[in-house]
Amino acid sequence: MQNAWLIPLLPLLSFILLLLFGKKLKEASAYAGIGATLLSLMLAAAVMLGQWGGESYKAEGVWLSIGKHAVTMGYEINPLNALMLVIVTLVSFLVHVYSKSYMRGDDRFHVFFAYLGLFTFAMLGLVLSPNLLQVYMFWELVGLGSFLLIGYYYFKPEAKAAAKKAFIMTRIGDVGLFIGIILLYWQAGSFEYDEIFKAIADGTISSDMITLIAILIFVGAVGKSGQLPLHTWLPDAMEGPTPVSALIHAATMVAAGVYLVAAMYPLFEASSAAMTTVAVVGGITAIFAASIGLMQKDIKRVLAYSTVSQLGYMMLALGSGGYTAGVFHLMTHAFFKALLFLAAGSVIHAVHTQNIEEMGGLWRKLKITAPLFLIGALSISGFPLFSGFFSKDEILMATYGDGRYGLFVLAVLAAFFTAFYMFRLFFMVFAGSPSQEHGKVGESDGPMILPMAVLGVLAVLAGYLNTPWFGTFLADYLSHGPVRFAAEGEHGPIWIPILATAVSLAGILLAYLMYGKKKLSRNWLSRSLPSLSTIVYRKYYVDEAYDATVVRGTTGFSCLWSYVDRYLVEGAVNGTVSLIQWLGKRGSYMYDGQVQRIGAVAVAGLVIILLFFAAAGGYFS
Amino acid sequence: MSHLISILVFSPLAGILALSLLSSKNERALKLAGLLGALLPMLIAVIAAASFERSASGIQLAEQVNWISYKMLKTGDAAYFSIRYEVGANGLSIVLMLLTAVISVLAAVGSWTVKRDWKSYFIFFLILELGMLGVFAAQNLFLFFIFFEITLIPMFFLIGRWGYADREKAAYSFLIYNGIGSAILLIVFVALFMRAGTLNYGELAKILSTNGYPGLGSTFRMSVLIALLVAFGIKLPIVPLHTWMLRVHVQAPPSIVMIHSGILLKIGAYGLFTFGIGFFPAEFKQLAVWIAVLGVINLLFGAFLAIVQTDLKKVLAYSSVSHMGIVLIGFAAMNEAGLKGAIFQLISHGLISALLFFLIGVLYERTGSSDLKDYSGLAGAMPVTAGVLLAGGLASLGLPGMSGFISEFLAFLGLFKVMPVIAAVGTLGIVLTAVYVLRAVLSVTFGPTRESYPVGRDMTAREKIPAFVLLGLVLVIGIYPGMLSEPLHTVLDTILLGLRG
Repeated sequence: MQNAWLIPLLPLLSFILLLLFGKKLKEASAYAGIGATLLSLMLAAAVMLGQWGGESYKAEGVWLSIGKHAVTMGYEINPLNALMLVIVTLVSFLVHVYSKSYMRGDDRFHVFFAYLGLFTFAMLGLVLSPNLLQVYMFWELVGLGSFLLIGYYYFKPEAKAAAKKAFIMTRIGDVGLFIGIILLYWQAGSFEYDEIFKAIADGTISSDMITLIAILIFVGAVGKSGQLPLHTWLPDAMEGPTPVSALIHAATMVAAGVYLVAAMYPLFEASSAAMTTVAVVGGITAIFAASIGLMQKDIKRVLAYSTVSQLGYMMLALGSGGYTAGVFHLMTHAFFKALLFLAAGSVIHAVHTQNIEEMGGLWRKLKITAPLFLIGALSISGFPLFSGFFSKDEILMATYGDGRYGLFVLAVLAAFFTAFYMFRLFFMVFAGSPSQEHGKVGESDGPMILPMAVLGVLAVLAGYLNTPWFGTFLADYLSHGPVRFAAEGEHGPIWIPILATAVSLAGILLAYLMYGKKKLSRNWLSRSLPSLSTIVYRKYYVDEAYDATVVRGTTGFSCLWSYVDRYLVEGAVNGTVSLIQWLGKRGSYMYDGQVQRIGAVAVAGLVIILLFFAAAGGYFS
Repeated sequence: MSHLISILVFSPLAGILALSLLSSKNERALKLAGLLGALLPMLIAVIAAASFERSASGIQLAEQVNWISYKMLKTGDAAYFSIRYEVGANGLSIVLMLLTAVISVLAAVGSWTVKRDWKSYFIFFLILELGMLGVFAAQNLFLFFIFFEITLIPMFFLIGRWGYADREKAAYSFLIYNGIGSAILLIVFVALFMRAGTLNYGELAKILSTNGYPGLGSTFRMSVLIALLVAFGIKLPIVPLHTWMLRVHVQAPPSIVMIHSGILLKIGAYGLFTFGIGFFPAEFKQLAVWIAVLGVINLLFGAFLAIVQTDLKKVLAYSSVSHMGIVLIGFAAMNEAGLKGAIFQLISHGLISALLFFLIGVLYERTGSSDLKDYSGLAGAMPVTAGVLLAGGLASLGLPGMSGFISEFLAFLGLFKVMPVIAAVGTLGIVLTAVYVLRAVLSVTFGPTRESYPVGRDMTAREKIPAFVLLGLVLVIGIYPGMLSEPLHTVLDTILLGLRG
């Protein structure tokens, strides 16, 4: 545990190494990243095992002093972040292995692995942070990693726009977090988690202030986790290479918002208004993004909207008091969504398109990828006995138990949508016959298959960490942490899992009828509701609305001030300059050699000075 | 008595002497002499900084020589009014002198692109450096004023002779504005001298903190402070007194802008801090709300305008306006966090803007343009330059791990304590900064690579040194700010003591 600081440092080392020597290492660059993350993974696993029933651990040093107060930096190990360490290092390691093959032949191969190292370092630093200032610093750095990797194909205008958008939109959220942290510092006198929790428990912070701060911190989480209304950057982030989407925009960074809410849970729990905000935003995001996912044609965008929707689920769970449920779903989602993205990458690798209307009949050609994708799809759809079934079930129970029945209905509906769009995707890609020729379609090689296989196993097994039948290992484990939470979920009404199963099966069945068996026409619904389907297909015109208001507004405002600067301020300046020039010219007329005039001016000046002295009483003191 | 600071301040004279002996045709030798002439002060600055006692307070390495003294008729008694030659350093000025010396060396390297009249260029360059070092070393207002004036003249010629197309107008507007500032300063200093009888910083601060000292009533104090605010507000600059510096940023040669943006603007903030807050803490506190408002206006105005600029140099010019808003915000907070943030911002912005203008010089040398329209996909043709430019941009937008974050965070931390609403408005600047920086940097580095680009003409080794030194300093301060905050501690303690007393 004393060596936990090595966990983030190893990927950083890989980043620095590749930045300096990557060009010479070429394809061998991958091994630096793979080796570093493998070591980190082993250390993280050891740390997590040590946390099973062990004590929390914290090490810090002074970083900067503000007055008498010393701001420290260091690391902390508790059950929650030990779990996160394992998730992050594992997915990062698998993505490194996968990328070695996926990115082969790319000119900037080493740059890609360098950026992956930077991102992994930042993400691990984020979860190890013992105080909010450090969290904020790494929070921005993961944003940087995400930005660099979205813009990896820098020459593509779409990638450039997407990278910029991701940075700016998340930064809007970050400002909320920034203010929240500062206000909390002046209220609690510290950035440290434990001292903040102590101040909250002691009741030294007024409840209005707690609500305000909790909501500001949640704004940061909204930006990072792609929640409404700051979600639009995440689907665009799919411009990055697919392994990046799996690592950053599915499994780890976008879950950082959920992690932050979980880590700051005592703050949120102290304000029911804040909890309601979290639950409502999460619930609405879940259904909103799921509905968009129904209509998209790009395989990665469907998965991206699905990620937004699932992150909404996690927020809903946390806002409903389902601490374990939220963290549990974070973990299972990390595995099955990373699996789905990597499998999607394998498909894209084979057919060189992302448009699912151009795919079809790949079941027979991609004999390993296809079943693995199916596992992921079943898991996310909440098919019984797969991991997503258990975690989603807990979320539904927590929401129901919290008494917000409206949100419960939304969550069930979103579960139906999820099952439907996932199997729409599955049948369109793998079933039927190819809609067009893609040349020779071959299965991916070992380094790509292996990570998918590992994730496939986890996408099934991870669910058994916390079940009403075999035991609530995860809840017990987390209960050793700094966050006290009520035992939850396992004794909810029995009809909830049954309803969840029914909804999931119904979604799958409908997708089968429409896209598998083709008994129903693909567009029977969109034909009957053309305007609604257009709105959904265009993602509710959110991007267009932002463009018309915020983007144009800012540019217009800037232009307005630009004119003010150019004509008003500059005009005043030019006026001053001409005045001085005019005075200078007047002055120069006086020196035309006429002695009388010089004398007259001198006398006039003397008179003025004497008058001044007389008025001031002889001496200007 | 130590002569170290005097030696440091006047050390550029050695380079000037060497230059004057060289033939004005010998380009290589002149450039080398210029560089060595700038290296010498840096060496001495490092020695001075090393012999500086970090934990001790007050003025160190002080030197005092009687210079001018005379009897005033009015007072009747035998009191002499005397002006001494006195220099020295406190924790802030030693850091600023070091920054001056370092940036001057790097700007001398950046001056390799100068195409003509190397001899007079480097002589002016070194006089400028002498002036800047003197401004920070001076321990009385008279010397401060003299050194302050010494910076104006070489700057005027450097802009007017070696600048871009519209250089002469820029030089005159520089001179007129700064001339007005100097005139105000002169009047203020004379008034203070006549009433307090001394120009020494320490003695002045002591007299001004004595209640009921004759002739220093509250109206007088307030008017002096406001006059200082205007005089240094021109230098900083505070909107709407900023137009001259936009011209200088755009028209002066990049190596001179490195110094202008990196050091000269900071003199405004140094003056506000040392004289404004140091001499008139109570009055400054009364004005704090207005200064905070001005700071937020600077921050937002600069940022909004930077968003719509089409020339890279103009983006950076407005960015400087915006970043100086952070200094005002930190000052207005009047607490340890805020003041520390403001001072960090001086140093951080000095390094970052020097880096970015150095890169503009590198780019202009190859493409002959700084218009954003003429750039696209630089990452393909010049990956190292593009990478450093991106890093510099990220530093400018306050990415944690780099110096800009520390200053931004501390300044806002300070202001939120005392004026949360104004501070909250100011945080909009954090988003806007990201918008304009990314817009400018990405339109240069990202996108399809221009075919006309000089592929294979990435940064040379000579160009890499300044770029990496500056970037390294930005990173070091960002990762371990404690290093810089230690020498500043005693200075802040003294100031804060004045605030409470």
